[in-house]
Amino acid sequence: METLFSGEWIEAAWIGRFLIALAFGSSLVSVVSLIRGEYQWGKRAFQVHAWSTFATIGMVFFLFASHRYEFQYIWKHLNNAMPMRFIFSAFWGGQEGGFLLWMFWHNVLGLILLRKKTIWTPQVMAVLAAIEVFLTSMLLGIYFGDFQLGLDPFLLLREAPSNLGLPWTTRADYLTAFPLFQDGQGLNPLLQNYWMTIHPPTLFLGFASTSVPFAFAIAGLMNRSDRSWMRPALRWSFFGVGILGTGILMGGAWAYEALSFGGFWAWDPVENSSLVPWIVLVAGAHLLLINRNRKHPTALFSTYYFPLLSFILVLYSTFLTKSGVLGDTSVHSFVDSGILPQLLVYVISFIALAHIALVESKKWRRALLFICLLLTLLALKGWAIEAISLFIATMFAAGIRAYLKDIQRTEEEESLWSRDFWMFVGSLLLFVSAMHITWQTSLPVFNRFLEPWSDQLTQLGTRWNSDMLLDLAKHNLAPGTDFDQTYHLVQIPLAVLILLAMGFAQWLKYKQSNIQRVLRSLFLPLIASIVLIGMLLYFFPYEWYESPRVALLFAAIFAVASNLDYLLTVARGHWRKIGSPLAHVGFGLVLFGAVLSTSQKEIISKNQIGDISSLNEELNNREDLLIMEGDTLSMGPYFVHYREKYQEGIHVKFRMDYFERVPNSYAPGDVVFFDGMVFEAHETHEASKLFSDDMEDHWMFIPFPNERQANQAQIWKSGIAGEQLFTLEPRIQINEQMGNAPEPDTRHWLHKDLYTHIKWGRVTPPETDENGWMGGKTHTVQVGDSMLVGRTLLTVDSLRAIRDEERPVRGLLDDDLAVVACIQLDNQTRIQTHEPLYIVRDSLIIPDLYEAEDFGVQMRIESFNPQAETLELTVWEHISVRRDFVVMQAVIFPQINWLWIGCILMAIGSFLAVAARWQRDQQSKSA
Amino acid sequence: MKKSHIVSLILVAALVGTFIATFTSTSRSVGFIEAESMVGEECKISGSLVREEPVVYDPETDPTLTVFLMEDKSGARRPVRLLKAKPTGLENSESIDLYGTMKDGEFHATEMLMKCPSKYNENNHVLLSENEDPLS
Repeated sequence: METLFSGEWIEAAWIGRFLIALAFGSSLVSVVSLIRGEYQWGKRAFQVHAWSTFATIGMVFFLFASHRYEFQYIWKHLNNAMPMRFIFSAFWGGQEGGFLLWMFWHNVLGLILLRKKTIWTPQVMAVLAAIEVFLTSMLLGIYFGDFQLGLDPFLLLREAPSNLGLPWTTRADYLTAFPLFQDGQGLNPLLQNYWMTIHPPTLFLGFASTSVPFAFAIAGLMNRSDRSWMRPALRWSFFGVGILGTGILMGGAWAYEALSFGGFWAWDPVENSSLVPWIVLVAGAHLLLINRNRKHPTALFSTYYFPLLSFILVLYSTFLTKSGVLGDTSVHSFVDSGILPQLLVYVISFIALAHIALVESKKWRRALLFICLLLTLLALKGWAIEAISLFIATMFAAGIRAYLKDIQRTEEEESLWSRDFWMFVGSLLLFVSAMHITWQTSLPVFNRFLEPWSDQLTQLGTRWNSDMLLDLAKHNLAPGTDFDQTYHLVQIPLAVLILLAMGFAQWLKYKQSNIQRVLRSLFLPLIASIVLIGMLLYFFPYEWYESPRVALLFAAIFAVASNLDYLLTVARGHWRKIGSPLAHVGFGLVLFGAVLSTSQKEIISKNQIGDISSLNEELNNREDLLIMEGDTLSMGPYFVHYREKYQEGIHVKFRMDYFERVPNSYAPGDVVFFDGMVFEAHETHEASKLFSDDMEDHWMFIPFPNERQANQAQIWKSGIAGEQLFTLEPRIQINEQMGNAPEPDTRHWLHKDLYTHIKWGRVTPPETDENGWMGGKTHTVQVGDSMLVGRTLLTVDSLRAIRDEERPVRGLLDDDLAVVACIQLDNQTRIQTHEPLYIVRDSLIIPDLYEAEDFGVQMRIESFNPQAETLELTVWEHISVRRDFVVMQAVIFPQINWLWIGCILMAIGSFLAVAARWQRDQQSKSA
Repeated sequence: MKKSHIVSLILVAALVGTFIATFTSTSRSVGFIEAESMVGEECKISGSLVREEPVVYDPETDPTLTVFLMEDKSGARRPVRLLKAKPTGLENSESIDLYGTMKDGEFHATEMLMKCPSKYNENNHVLLSENEDPLS
């Protein structure tokens, strides 16, 4: 019997699923009609698809707005406490919403492309509709045995596979019976901020816009005699470059401002996999730029291939990040949601489409199709990895065949002094850079390919005595954690070359240029960059081994100077010419700001642990500062004071005041310690940074301090806290789902940022016993040892046997053996000696719990070793004397604002270029 | 041969070179036993926290040292000295990836990644336990 579930809005599920089915069906119809040449049908079907997608999105929003927790997607991403302004973040907080967002942009772009029919529209739309078929299938939520086709956003909670068979799912009143279902899980608090509202839509629009050049390239391959597809493809490429670039850097800004990754870029697989399509798209756009007007195209294969590759890399990136295959190599945690096979099919289908389109002969196309079908069968038989390896080999062969035979090639030699040649070189460099990053990111995937060949590799490795093959046989490659080794080693030289080409080629003309004139125009930027790098090195010294970074900084300055000069002399007044140099200036500044701010970052919280650092050499390279509540410590150019901690909403905030550092001044008669020696000042002076600078002129060494000197002496300090400058409040977010997460607080200046975050802080009261005692740790100590118990310094002064007159006072019998430990307690306001006992009565140890009330310290001697003269001492600290403390990190990023300025300029430049191309193409059409 | 071909060839050769270079320069994921034979070499170890042993983090003595016991995939257990403040959620982590080197029977980790159980599974436990008493 069907149960009637009360309170469920079951109709919404059916309407939603109907809309998705309609969207899926109409996209299929659209593809078929467009391929068969029935344009009107195809157009209508695509419109139906677009509007049913929009309706689906509207429906999901409505379910969010009405808090319909019977739907799994809503329950997982929303809760009653969440303000409605986060409804967008919640919407795309999961994979289903992500796909819907992506589809939304595809449909917007598709509708724009449909507005005007050109000879390319039918094929372009066919490709877009095909992409949509796949994307919509991600939302179907149909199971074929174990194979899951898509994730249904309208899935009811009780239907979720993980809940199947649980007793509550059959209760008609489950929604009202369990409080769990009256409130949702809520979006991970880490995602509840405005970055989550703006970053995903920008990024997904960027992703969606790579599919337009892809579609144009496929269309262009279908009709190779006509290369007019390049103009619209170029406009869309630049659009994608601008949007995707903004989206990526927005992600960086998010990480920097709101998350505690410690910077804006961490070469994380997720970041990489959105960067790589962007780089390839930039390369593709520049090749399109070379070839759009040429009668005899150059590098035509790459001109087709890069736009194709860019979109394929977007799909690959989706595969990497959403399938869970990256597993634990990324800080972004992914859950395998069971759609790995489907995502894989998606990537592979479009790789196949691109390569089959690349070859021209019908025979080859049929053969390739046939091989793909065979391999599909092989994969279904269970040899998936082998099939994919063979597939990649086949596609590679197809690419080579197309390059050699099917794409028109010119034997015309490029002039060395032409813009075309250097743009081509630049594009290739970009391509190499993108492939290197992809490779490093894909190591977990590559391991899976090695796995089936493990035995063969081991055999070969032993036969040839090759360690490398033996290593490969273990299929356990992992990306290194040393970014210099893993990425910078290759990426920095590439970036240097790219930037130099960028600065140089801007002055070249297409086809052929007068090199002397070019060199003359380059003279000024070159001189300017040499002067600037000189000044830079004066203010920011680099070590010799950092010379690649210096080269990169120089190349970036040169690229900026050269393009800026071009902008001001050649492009001034012609807005259509501004786009390219402006974007180049922006790109140069991004790299300049990124390299300078990270390589010159100064961790000012370093080496502040105090006396302990001398005890443990490992501590010297630690980067964190421990600060007690109420204390003021010197930190870099500041003094930092931990004022208080308070809770606000889901955040525990730590209020840290920053004070100016002013030189300490000493007057005659002041006594200080330095390095264990005592000195007395003989004149009034301001302290320098180092004691050694002052010692001879202002201080007198006191070999035998008198009582006054011994009492007065304080540790020498070069600076003291002056005026309060500002307050920063780094915080810890209370996050039950993901675990508490630190969030940084950053002070911005024009020329630098001070970035601080909490490494460790207490957000819940410490654990105590019923009387408020904490700790209870046992230490092995001997005479002379000291340790800190909270704020009290405990020193074992001496040990002695008990005196007879003490026995009655301490409640001891005459036969008891007892050792008295004289323990000095010092909490800076008072020093006292306390005497806990170690008692043995009839060869039994009598535990003696000793409390030093004034200090809030409790101790007990557990055992005494007379030979070694060591004690086992357990100490407790009382909660009432406890002072709170935090472990924090503070970093200065100098000149980081160039990065953000560059980012904005690059986006503006790209959009100006799109607008200029658009206007020019319109004019050339009407002419 | 065209100039562009020469440039392409050089770059492709460079690219292949960097690929092969990764085979030797990247860190490897190994077990504790194997890591002990790789003296001074960085490696990656995956495993999970041994929950019976406490995670020791005493920021007052050293704010950047966390000590815990980890079991690798083959079942070998070694103490780990993570040179960082204790990451939040370590106690609840499902699996741990460490980067570092083996030194005197202890693993000195400089970098650590964790995987935490998905929130969804956790709540299934909640649902299950609620159902043990159907009248709740």
